[in-house]
Amino acid sequence: MKLGIIIIQVLFLHVFLFLGVVLKQVIPLPIPASMFGLGLLFLALSCHIIKIEWVEQGATWLMAELLLFFIPSAVGIVNYQQIISMQGVEIVVLIAVSTMIVMGMTALTAEKITARKRSSEQH
Amino acid sequence: MMVVFTLATYIIYIFAKKTYGKIAIPFFHPLLLAPILLIVLISITHVSANQYLQDSKWLSHMLGPATVAFAVPIYKNLPIVKKYIGTIIVSITAGTLVAIFTTLLLSKLIHLKYDFIISILPRSITTPIAIEVSKEIGGLPTLTTVFVIITGVIGGVVGPSVLKWLSIKTPIARGLALGMGAHGVGTNKAMEYGKQEATFSSLAMIFAACITLVWGVLLIPYLLS
Repeated sequence: MKLGIIIIQVLFLHVFLFLGVVLKQVIPLPIPASMFGLGLLFLALSCHIIKIEWVEQGATWLMAELLLFFIPSAVGIVNYQQIISMQGVEIVVLIAVSTMIVMGMTALTAEKITARKRSSEQH
Repeated sequence: MMVVFTLATYIIYIFAKKTYGKIAIPFFHPLLLAPILLIVLISITHVSANQYLQDSKWLSHMLGPATVAFAVPIYKNLPIVKKYIGTIIVSITAGTLVAIFTTLLLSKLIHLKYDFIISILPRSITTPIAIEVSKEIGGLPTLTTVFVIITGVIGGVVGPSVLKWLSIKTPIARGLALGMGAHGVGTNKAMEYGKQEATFSSLAMIFAACITLVWGVLLIPYLLS
């Protein structure tokens, strides 16, 4: 039963993806169709055109199993064996260093702003 | 064959997820373990990687509706979004800029080939959008996907340590950092911290994608010229 609901809701989310594809044809901005779809679904929810219950379970499932959808592309890495064997380690170190700085800076910025907000609320 | 490979991918994914749940060492991360097992499987059965990719295409296709699905957490958390919009935008703008500049600088340092540099720049955002940015600036989408995945796996592993070292305590800072640094995988990790962290992480993912789209047009072309 639950599986059926999820399948139907995932199919329903495709309607918004499709509308996003259509919108992309009309609006010549470098915005992906899925992003247009996200915007349209948000608008439809905000304007109460559709109910949250119609999409919630499907959406939750898609977001929870996000890793599954990355796997085929990860297998595609075998097509880049040459480069990976040449500079693979360097690339991994690059990404690790950069990601740590990105996370650190984002966290510190957010934490600073939150602290400042709190102290200004107290005074 | 289509069903066979999709089913195999799903079973191996579930197995990898369970294994990682029991033995949480980086090597057993589902995004490493599952592809390695699948690569072994297709080489044993003499199936080419392209054949596999063709057959399991619709699994990757699900990233499209999955992106659309992120409208649900935004809608459900609208009061939080409104309350913290300033913090979110400032932190994620900083995050995206740091991501682009450190990646560019480090890839010049290791003398990465030009088309690799373009393909690696959008690596910290979610795949479907990263591919679009990559196409826009002239990168190779498949390669970008691989970099996005490496970022996710590494981010999911180092993220908690970074938060610990810097003694980050607030759910908003934790969530934003994980979603900004490691997109979907970071959000997955944020769920382990708590509901608030997961919410901020998915918001960070969406905002990072939107802001990077803007940089793809306004900033990156000038950095590369």
